[in-house]
Amino acid sequence: MNRDAIDDRILQLMKKDSNISNIEMSRIIGIPENEIAARILNISDTRPIILIVDDDMDSLLPLKRSLERENYKVVEAYSGRDALQKATAETPDVILLDLMMPGMDGYDVCNRLKTEMTLKNTQIIMLTARDDVGDKVRGLELGADDYVTKPFNLSELKARIKAALRRTSNL
Amino acid sequence: MRIRSEIIIFFLLISVIPLSIVAYISYDSSKEAISGSVMEKLLGATENTGNAIDNWMAARKDDIRVISQSRILVCTDKKQLREYLDTFEREYRGVYREFFILDLNGSIIFSTLDRKGNAGNERYFTEAANGKLYVSDVSLSEITGYSEMIIANPVKNNGTITGIMAARVSLENLYRIIENIDVGKSGEVFIVNKDGNIIFHKNRSMILLHSIPDNHAVREVTYEKNGIDEYVNYKGEKVLGSYYWLPLYRWGLIVEEKTDEAYTGVVALGRLMVTVSFFAIIGVVFLALVISRRLTEPIKSLENGALGLVKGNFRPIPVTSRNEIGHLTEILNQTASELLFIRKKLEDRIQLANHDLEKKNQELIEANEGLKKLDEMKSEFISLVSHELKTPLSTIKVSAEYLESDDNADPFERKEMLRIIIRNIDRQTRMINEILDLSKIEAGKMEFQFENVDMRETVNSVIENIGQLAMKKKITISLDIPDSLPQFIADKEKLIIVLNNLAGNALKFTPVGGSIIISAKDLGDSIEVRMKDTGIGIEKEKLEKIFDKFYQVDSTSRRKIGGCGLGLSIASGIIRAHGSQIHVESETGGGSTFSFRLKKAEP
Repeated sequence: MNRDAIDDRILQLMKKDSNISNIEMSRIIGIPENEIAARILNISDTRPIILIVDDDMDSLLPLKRSLERENYKVVEAYSGRDALQKATAETPDVILLDLMMPGMDGYDVCNRLKTEMTLKNTQIIMLTARDDVGDKVRGLELGADDYVTKPFNLSELKARIKAALRRTSNL
Repeated sequence: MRIRSEIIIFFLLISVIPLSIVAYISYDSSKEAISGSVMEKLLGATENTGNAIDNWMAARKDDIRVISQSRILVCTDKKQLREYLDTFEREYRGVYREFFILDLNGSIIFSTLDRKGNAGNERYFTEAANGKLYVSDVSLSEITGYSEMIIANPVKNNGTITGIMAARVSLENLYRIIENIDVGKSGEVFIVNKDGNIIFHKNRSMILLHSIPDNHAVREVTYEKNGIDEYVNYKGEKVLGSYYWLPLYRWGLIVEEKTDEAYTGVVALGRLMVTVSFFAIIGVVFLALVISRRLTEPIKSLENGALGLVKGNFRPIPVTSRNEIGHLTEILNQTASELLFIRKKLEDRIQLANHDLEKKNQELIEANEGLKKLDEMKSEFISLVSHELKTPLSTIKVSAEYLESDDNADPFERKEMLRIIIRNIDRQTRMINEILDLSKIEAGKMEFQFENVDMRETVNSVIENIGQLAMKKKITISLDIPDSLPQFIADKEKLIIVLNNLAGNALKFTPVGGSIIISAKDLGDSIEVRMKDTGIGIEKEKLEKIFDKFYQVDSTSRRKIGGCGLGLSIASGIIRAHGSQIHVESETGGGSTFSFRLKKAEP
């Protein structure tokens, strides 16, 4: 049972009985109670979701803190594989994708994400220290929506994220 | 021009020209001789005819003289006279048509034809009356229609003319004599009188009726000339004509013969000459062909051979003659074989040179490939370096901006951010140092301070550096260094860098729970240092490249321990500066062993 189906079940149960407890729902649906709580938290969370993909934890953390302060829900992934999994699970509005990663690199991730139907509204912003024109072109051709080179200006990145979100809501 | 044509033309020239000259000369002289004889013959015929006429006419005159002097004429017995004259007539079988006697008045007093009349006005009467024998012009007989003439002679009695004796003479008899003279098949004899009228002709009907107009011989002979000429006769035929004036009777005798016939011999001779010349020319041409063939055949084969030589065909030309051409052919064959030899030699050399060139080319291609690869590696390196330098910079910037924008931050978060900043500054510093070190080594500008170094001391500082990381990965580091190990000569600081890099790599590629052994051994004149790990090992084909500048076995896995894959390059450069070399033994999955030797210190 995927998360959307679980979410639907929880909403159905809550509609029938607004005072239903998590333990009861856990029993009916057949998943742990803490999972139910997390799902409820997730359903009630309406903030835009941003997925940051970077193998360097030091790069990821300050960015996560800055974006959370802007009232975004931030999901982090430390590898390409991780990113694909989180993206399908969370359906983020914007993905900040680092290109240089061991194993599956940013281009591969971008390529895979673009084939995912559920993510067709997701905006991908590539984030990399490489500022070769060829790299940029390659990224944009693979379906990236924007390209930001490191070191970037935090306010500029925020502005670009806002622009990307505007494009999503227009779609 | 081709030799063959030249020979033929030459032969023709030297044969035809003299042949033609000789033929022409002999033809010409023969023609002259023949035409001379023809003319002689013609003249002979003319003379014979003339003589025959003379003889005949003389006989007639004699007859008349004899008769006119006969006694019988004087007597008056007509019967006796008639008998006498009849006898004459009979004897001469038609030569005499009539005998008649005239008195001095011109009256016919006796005629064998019993004719009466007066001829006192006739010329023969008057001439004879003057005491002379007279021969009249030829005329056509009124009686017979044949040509005839009158001969008159005075009859004398004791020296006095008592009458005239005349005879009508038929010329048929003379004509028959003339006709019997041989003048050739086409020959024609005719006699004209002073006026140019014909008095004798084979065709009797022409006699006296026709004058012959515009006939050269007639014209000439009426001018009382004799001669022989070629001209066109009244029939329009070319003839050779002889004309002869008989003054006694004022006759012109003309004998004509057609030139064609007259010169039959000449024409035949000309034909013979042409035929002989023709066959001679054919013979000469044939001879010239044979000779030129004999001459040109070897030349031709020589030519073909030489042409073949030009086209690179070195087959020997067959020698067909022993003369100069044969000799030339032999020389050419010799040249050809020499050329062939030289060519083979040259070809061998070219092949060798080509082979060399190909090898060099291959080398160049390989070198170029290497350079290209190096270039690619260099740009990849630059890209990596810029990435590696920018990534911590970006992190520092974001963290700093985060701190700057929030004065009331959670102290825990603040600390976390600051720690990140410091860590990334360190990381960047380390990286810059590595790059600088490598470029110094590359440029040969790294300074070394060699001293006596103790192995244990050195290894201890290395363990200090990497111990923490090893402990984290639960990797045991063991040492195998004998206490008695002598010191060696090295730059201690640089040696620590080498060992740090090697150990860093070993830690990087050794899975959790593995081990690293650092050992040193006295080899007599040098000390061998080994570092053995139980890592994943290095693939055989990558083994040669790991010391290359910019080479990284896995370009994305360096981050965990820092550095941009320059560690081995730096280590290798440093050991090279010590006059040694790093060796590596490895097997996929069987761990790797790096080793190098250092010079022992003086005791």
